[in-house]
Amino acid sequence: MSTALQSLSTELADAVESAGRAVVAIHARRRIPASGVHWRPGAVVATHHTISRDENITVTLPDGTTAPASLAGRDPGTDLAVLKLAGQSAPTANRRTDAPPKVGELVIALGRPGPSLTASWGVVSRVDGPWRTWQGDEIDSLVRLDLAIYDGFSGGPLIDAGGRVLGINTSALARGVPVTIPVATVEHVVTELMERGTIRRAYLGIGTQPVRVPESLARKLELESDVALLIVSLESGGPADRDGMLLGDVLLELDGAAVNDPGDILAKLGGDRVGKPIAVRVIRGGQLKTLQVSPGERPKSRAA
Amino acid sequence: MTGSVSAGLAQQLAAAVDQLRHITVQVRTHRAATGAGILWDGGESEGRGLVITNAHVIRGDRATIELSDGTVARARVVARDPKRDLAALEFESWRAMVSIVIRDSPPLRVGELVIAIGHPGGLVGAATLGIVHRAESEGAGRTPRWIRADVRLAPGFSGGPLAYTAGRLVGVNTMMQGGLALAIPAAAVEAWVRRSHALVAP
Repeated sequence: MSTALQSLSTELADAVESAGRAVVAIHARRRIPASGVHWRPGAVVATHHTISRDENITVTLPDGTTAPASLAGRDPGTDLAVLKLAGQSAPTANRRTDAPPKVGELVIALGRPGPSLTASWGVVSRVDGPWRTWQGDEIDSLVRLDLAIYDGFSGGPLIDAGGRVLGINTSALARGVPVTIPVATVEHVVTELMERGTIRRAYLGIGTQPVRVPESLARKLELESDVALLIVSLESGGPADRDGMLLGDVLLELDGAAVNDPGDILAKLGGDRVGKPIAVRVIRGGQLKTLQVSPGERPKSRAA
Repeated sequence: MTGSVSAGLAQQLAAAVDQLRHITVQVRTHRAATGAGILWDGGESEGRGLVITNAHVIRGDRATIELSDGTVARARVVARDPKRDLAALEFESWRAMVSIVIRDSPPLRVGELVIAIGHPGGLVGAATLGIVHRAESEGAGRTPRWIRADVRLAPGFSGGPLAYTAGRLVGVNTMMQGGLALAIPAAAVEAWVRRSHALVAP
């Protein structure tokens, strides 16, 4: 009778079933197990905030068997963690890479907080360009969701109506609003964590605050923007200190690009910049000055 | 052609909801908010109709029910199980009415669409659409205790039907827990009705 409706229902269930074959339960915290996705052969992606211990981790596969897993590494900045799973031939996630999620697209969030697969549905409510998490790490695109969060939501995949994976869901990056970490970011983090066990990020060892450059000085120095960043703290012996930056310098440009916001600095400091000198343009004593600073590798638990 | 699929879907959804409204009744008792009930048996044979609802919807042993066509009838509680949160109400029926069709097989799949009907805040016959959240792993033919659905329920949905898109009943909406709807599986309700109705049958 109601054919299209029943076809939709069946297709959604089919999508859940096929994508669910790569969704696992991870036993790495008390109470409820967390969800994870078998992303590449031997690599399971989960969310950092749901993996509370580093050792003694086991994974329950969709077929009900349990296998030991080891933590390859974590990236608190993107809330991702990667586990190594040895000798498994379980299916891996079928990722959608040809088209990004669209606002209004019907999506399903899968989880496996135990032996059974769980799902909630909704729509993509917002899609935007690259954004920074509160810890300063860049995520390739912002994907916000309008759907119910439940136990096991974080670490599970967001899938489209065809069962293809659009990313990893988390409720810990945007004040409880469900977001999806897109496939591109997950790929990058998985590669880095599987190879190195850590995400390298460059840093300068400075603290800054946006300031307005006096109009007369801006005119005299022929500045394009009158907002710049005042160096308010300098890590003693850090990369900036070592290469001659001073407290009180007003930072105008990094690598030829204007910086108006502390986030602009972070945007210039990807892991590949470690040890490679960057041209830093500052105002010092009313004069323009250009320095060469080589970013260091950011120690864990430090901002910029 | 854009929109033709969703237009068809919308029409079919409206038809499915309409069909379900006919088996959904309002249940009112003194000093309690209106709940929902399911027309379990239209009373074709013995002139007595049977409505199933949640035990928590009913205070006392009498209730007033209102059918989807506006017919109001006095009903009496003939069975009640607070532990299972089920109650059965009997009323005099003077004509044959459509009653529920139960779906118990094939088993529900995660992701399948389900519809809930209820009367939130006095809004009669409201519908909400969702999907099956979890397929309970039934241990050796045992009926699972709850059906969990990703459907937004509000007070007033209690006792009403959770149904598959083809109109077949899958459960009795009972409560929300952690943002998800819990419904008593139709098969469990059916077994309960058979058991408890046998006890009270004259």
